[in-house]
Amino acid sequence: MSATVDDIEIREEAAQRRRAAIRRYAKHPGFVIGACGILVLLVVALLAPWLAPHSPTRTDLMNTLAPPSASHWLGTDQFGRDVLSRLIYGAQVSLQVGFFVVLISLSAGTILGAVAGYAGGWVERALVAAIDILLAFPSFLLALALVAARGNTLDSIIVAVAIAYTPRVAAVMRSVVLTIRPRPFIEASRAIGLSPWKIILRHIIPNALPPVIVVATVSAATAILAEAGLSFLGLGVQPPTPTWGNVIAEGQTSITTNPLISLSAGLCIAFTVIVLNLLGDGLRDTLDPQMRRNTGKLL
Amino acid sequence: MTAATFELRGLTAAVPGEKGAVRLVEEVSLSVRAGETLAVVGESGSGKTVTFTSALGLLPKPGRVIEGQALYNGTDLLSLAPEALRRVRGAQIGMVFQDPLTGLNPVFRVGDQIAEVLRAHLPIGRREARDRAVQLLGRVQIPDPARRVDDYPHQFSGGMRQRVLIAMAIALGPRVLIADEPTTALDVTVQAQVLDLLSELREEEGMAMVLITHDLGVVARQADRIAVMYSGRVVETGTVDEVFRAPRHPYTISLFRSIPDLDAPAGTMLAPIAGAPPDPQRRPAGCAFAPRCFAAREADGCMSSRPLLTDGAHAVACHRQGMLEQAA
Repeated sequence: MSATVDDIEIREEAAQRRRAAIRRYAKHPGFVIGACGILVLLVVALLAPWLAPHSPTRTDLMNTLAPPSASHWLGTDQFGRDVLSRLIYGAQVSLQVGFFVVLISLSAGTILGAVAGYAGGWVERALVAAIDILLAFPSFLLALALVAARGNTLDSIIVAVAIAYTPRVAAVMRSVVLTIRPRPFIEASRAIGLSPWKIILRHIIPNALPPVIVVATVSAATAILAEAGLSFLGLGVQPPTPTWGNVIAEGQTSITTNPLISLSAGLCIAFTVIVLNLLGDGLRDTLDPQMRRNTGKLL
Repeated sequence: MTAATFELRGLTAAVPGEKGAVRLVEEVSLSVRAGETLAVVGESGSGKTVTFTSALGLLPKPGRVIEGQALYNGTDLLSLAPEALRRVRGAQIGMVFQDPLTGLNPVFRVGDQIAEVLRAHLPIGRREARDRAVQLLGRVQIPDPARRVDDYPHQFSGGMRQRVLIAMAIALGPRVLIADEPTTALDVTVQAQVLDLLSELREEEGMAMVLITHDLGVVARQADRIAVMYSGRVVETGTVDEVFRAPRHPYTISLFRSIPDLDAPAGTMLAPIAGAPPDPQRRPAGCAFAPRCFAAREADGCMSSRPLLTDGAHAVACHRQGMLEQAA
């Protein structure tokens, strides 16, 4: 047997499949808009020191609650701080929260869910019970309680929100693992003498990731929303650090005269959440073979 | 006669059912020596696969072995701790499964999957594992192994994937290779290649091989001895010569009658076996084959007592065995 026609055909087919995958992503308007939106947010957050026209924390008591002008595009707040600059820096906090919450809850949830789904027996029953108890609890309330207990530094907020969102990832992960466990290559890897941990890490998790990544993208949005909610309630990152939730809360006092302050921060949050959801939907549609036929016609 | 490399003694495995344990396989005794191929034959659901997965501790929960031994070089695998058993699987006893299309993890390169077997059992580095993976791909006759080692499973055809799975099974030089219907999912031309490869490897390595199949043609070509299973039990066992020339169990006889014969006169009808094998939850009280048997007779106890496998090299489990021989 040499490199046969068959062989060449198979390689050609693989290359075609790759091109088709790229085309599928490019053709999905939601995915493209979502990905571009995230990219814009990332650039804004990373380049905040260069993009922001003013310092986000420098007060100017001679120029409070100024209307939009050439030097203050969105005006100033009640301490004379530039609203646009505060929003630009606020993106840093929001994206950090989104990123780290997803990182933590994705890792923890993936492992917990995979262990529960693969182990079966009492291990599964115990983990599922724990997951269900946490799921039954409203996650925002849980995050609120955890922040109240652990203090409101950025770290503790991230940890609190991550703990609140881990059970969702774990629940999805477990259900996916249940569909992977009976597949022949898992039996084969048991037959070649791999340890259960190796099987989970090498064979179960990589195959279960697509749906979990979708959940993670969407929970990034809810995490950012949760952080904004905590900040708004005064339990988030403390002023004067600019966060979108803080800007809304501070703008509240002057909402009748200067609605633009709260409104613009609210729009930032809405934009981020929408963009992340579009990205999540796009990933779902393109990663799920059954949805592929419909892609490109949604939205 | 050298000692058996792999031997099952009275293996009985069951799953819990509504009315007590449902026995999937009952009192299965088999053995295979180094350099020998034992074919295990039977229709779907006769317990061929369950026999070997339970012997290796791979039977999915809640199934479990309730009786018997699985001896590998004299050690009962079923008495080993899970960790010790895990070290035997893959290293000492290799297994090739039925479906090569789904037997490989789709998200990893084939070379990495072969290397994984090696590294699970040997203290070797990445580079060495990779080199050995290339060698192994060459051994199972994959063309251009140095390049194909970095391919993903979907870039391989079915026959080639089965070769990869065989490479994984023999990676550590096991003394026993269990091949569970290794060619069922493959094209006929590819089947022959894969079977030839298996027997070549068996000869070179002096492995004991168990070939689970329902294809009697494969048995005739590849196997030294045969064990016929029906409804969870071994009903006849002997050398391929003996069993093919003079089958003694009515089930085996019916099996041969149901195969087309090129030498038979034109127009001869095949004789399928009427009925279906019994549900393991509702096996008849007597011989499990009695309801479908052309020779079953109440007077001989076919309907009331379970026939036991006779002693000797060509053994059979049938109440009517004596009568059938006289008739023949």
